[in-house]
Parts: sequence; structure tokens; C-alpha cells
Amino acid sequence: MTKPELCSTGIEELDFHLAGGIPLGSTVLVTGCSGSGKTTLCMQYLFSGARKGERGVFFTITEPLFKLTKNLEGFGFYDKKLIESGMVNIIDLRIISERLGLDAEKYTVEDAGALLDILKDIADELNVKRLVMDSITALCYRLQTREMIRDFIFKLGTSLAVMNCTTLLTSEVPPQTYKFSQYEIEEFISDGIFFLGDVDRRGDLIRTLQIVKMRGTSHTRSKFAMSIATDRGIELVPLLKSTGIETILSR
Amino acid sequence: MPDAIVDGIKERIGVAIKVNQSVGIQVPENRHNDLLEAIFNSMCSNTSSFWTFVTINNTYDYLNKNFKEVVNQPNITFIDCVSRAAGIGRPQGDCIYIESPTMLEKVQLEIMHSFTKIKDDTERFVVIDSLSSLMIYNEPEIIREFVSLLMNRTRAENIHIISILVEEELDANKLIQLNDKIVVLRDSFIE
Repeated sequence: MTKPELCSTGIEELDFHLAGGIPLGSTVLVTGCSGSGKTTLCMQYLFSGARKGERGVFFTITEPLFKLTKNLEGFGFYDKKLIESGMVNIIDLRIISERLGLDAEKYTVEDAGALLDILKDIADELNVKRLVMDSITALCYRLQTREMIRDFIFKLGTSLAVMNCTTLLTSEVPPQTYKFSQYEIEEFISDGIFFLGDVDRRGDLIRTLQIVKMRGTSHTRSKFAMSIATDRGIELVPLLKSTGIETILSR
Repeated sequence: MPDAIVDGIKERIGVAIKVNQSVGIQVPENRHNDLLEAIFNSMCSNTSSFWTFVTINNTYDYLNKNFKEVVNQPNITFIDCVSRAAGIGRPQGDCIYIESPTMLEKVQLEIMHSFTKIKDDTERFVVIDSLSSLMIYNEPEIIREFVSLLMNRTRAENIHIISILVEEELDANKLIQLNDKIVVLRDSFIE
């Protein structure tokens, strides 16, 4: 079997446990509850790629651009010049929806299809190698029925598969659960899953990250403690396994 | 405490850490500050070596006020695990504050990170003060796992560990056994 070309995540320990990185062209679901570090992980991924000359795009549907960039400013990996030079592009999907004349709160199948086409055009035009959608849950929330959501997710999967880029899709799940997505379909279009959870140790929440799946790599499935430091961004260290009286949330 | 006894402790620890990767020091409560004085004395007089001091027993602010000689020493980094949990702690340049003493993985990360810019041929030491204080906030099994992983990690990088154990608790005794060498300090003599 030939070794696939790999895309570095920008997190040294994560790359190590992925046996080098994410196989190029993969779609990875980054799943976790609010505050688990999904957006930070995705941003670190984009900025580290940009430093290597790989252009990236971040589609947001949950947070306004000014708030996103303001939150990024404290991080060591953040570099305003990479945004100004167009190596990292942050695009608010709600603005695109408005320009397309779509109802910002409710999408029809046609609306969702039009939005997908625009996303693909943007990715092609910018020639991006790294794409992030934050979040797929919020996007699907605007679709009215489960069937529409399922159709949209499968169309999204098909579109991403032909794009020449490695994609991270964030997925919101409620706290204290071990599920990968809100609609339980998102994981089927994904080649990989990073599960971001919490461990409650005497009332303190320790962030965790687990590589649940990554097609094409021999990755570890151990759980890691995840630290988010402003200067160094995300770092992983083996999670202490002795349970004692701690309770494990989000598995 | 007479200087002769501080010097005696220093010498004993110095010899033990030279030939062992990890040394556990068991000390009675009323001698704890004397032991700190001896360790700080070693840290300040040995400026070609690099030290990371993890404090769970006292806040950095307390150490700052009571052991002025160690403040702002370029070869010493402090990691304070208690101030933020106690709601104290004004950020100070040469100290890293950990949210809570339960966040042992973060402590490990910060310990290892403190050495990243230090050359491999520099003598490097970690002091953990103390295992007994860690036990207030954590279960013994998890501290045992923490110490064991930390020792493996530091051993791979040739970093020495000195861990302090205040008083003689049964559970704490099991922890200190992980060390290569144990030094027991008594009220009136050094064993």
C-alpha cells in the first residue's frame, strides 16, 4: 500500500499520533460541545498551513467575523498578515446568504444547493488547500426536515470529495454525551473524526481529544488531555487514566 | 536553623541527585521551610544549572516574600499550582500559574515546556513541593501515575527530579517509593 500524502494539523503531538498528519483531501469531523476548542483547533490548522504556503478558507455561520478575529488575536499562531495577504480567508456564510437573497434562518433544498455551489466556487477561485466549515450543525439547523438535512450532508460530502483540499467540519454536540454529530449523518461523509470532550476531575474540567477515526493512517485511539495556551495554542499530553473519584463526561 | 544543618541537607541532597535521576525527600512538617532554604540555596549558588520549581504547598507570592533570593533568578522557573485555585495570584513574570492542582497533565506540559529552550548539556532539575500537597487535591492513584509518567519523560531527557514529601503518610509513602533514592530528614538528624 502506498503511503498517502499527509497534511500537517499544526499540532505537533496530534500529527505524531496520526502517524504524520491527515491524508490529503480528507474530510474530518471535529466534534465537541461548546467550549471544547473546535474553532481554535481549526484556526491553528489554517494558520499553520498558511505559514507553509497552503492557502486556507474558514467559513463561519456561528460567529461574526470581528468576534472571531478578536478572539484569535491573543494566540501565538495568529498572524494578521496571513489574513491581509489572503493566505487565510475568513468568510461569513450569513453574508453570502444575504447576498444570494436567501432567508438567513430557513433554507430550502435549492438554497442549500446554491450555497454549496458558492462554497465550491470560492474554494476553487482561491485555490485553497485547507477548508474549514464552522459549523455543519448550524448550517443544517437552517434546513427544515431530516430528509433535507440528510440530502444536504450527502451533497456536501460529494462536493468536498472532488475539491482539491483537506477539510475540517466542526460539529456541535451536547455536553456529557458521546455522539459525534447532531443529526448522526455527518460522520458518514467524514474520513476522520476528532472527538473533543471533557473529563471532570473533582469539579475541574480537563479538555480531552481523541482520534476516533482516520482513514488511511494507523493512528492511536488513546485519549489525550488537551491544553489551550494563548502563546502555544493547542497541545496534547497523555491523559492520566487513573479514575479515582473522577467522573468521565463526554466519554 | 543553623547554617551547618542547612549545609548538611544541601550536601546530602547534592550527593543523592548526582548519582540518581530522581530523589524523594521525606521531611517533617516543622523542617519543611529549612529544607526549602537548603534547596533554594542550591538553586541560587548553582547558576549554570536550570531549575523548575513546582509549588503546591505554598503560593508563589509566599515564596517571593519569604525566600527573596530566588526571585527573578534567570535559571529558575516557578510553576504555581495553588494561587489560582485559591483565587489569589497576581501574574508575575517568572511564574507560570496553573488553574488547579488537579490539572496534572497541564503541570507536566509546563514542566517539559520550561526546559525547551535549555541546552541538553545543561544540568536540569525539577523540584515538586510537595507530593503530600498534591494528595489534598488528587487521588493517590492519579498522583502515582503522574509521577511515574513524569519520571519516564524526564529520564528520557536526562532531567533530574526532586520530590518532597511532608510527614509520613502511608499512601504518600507509596508515592515516594517511585524515586531512585529516598532521603529522610528527621527533627534532629539526617538519616
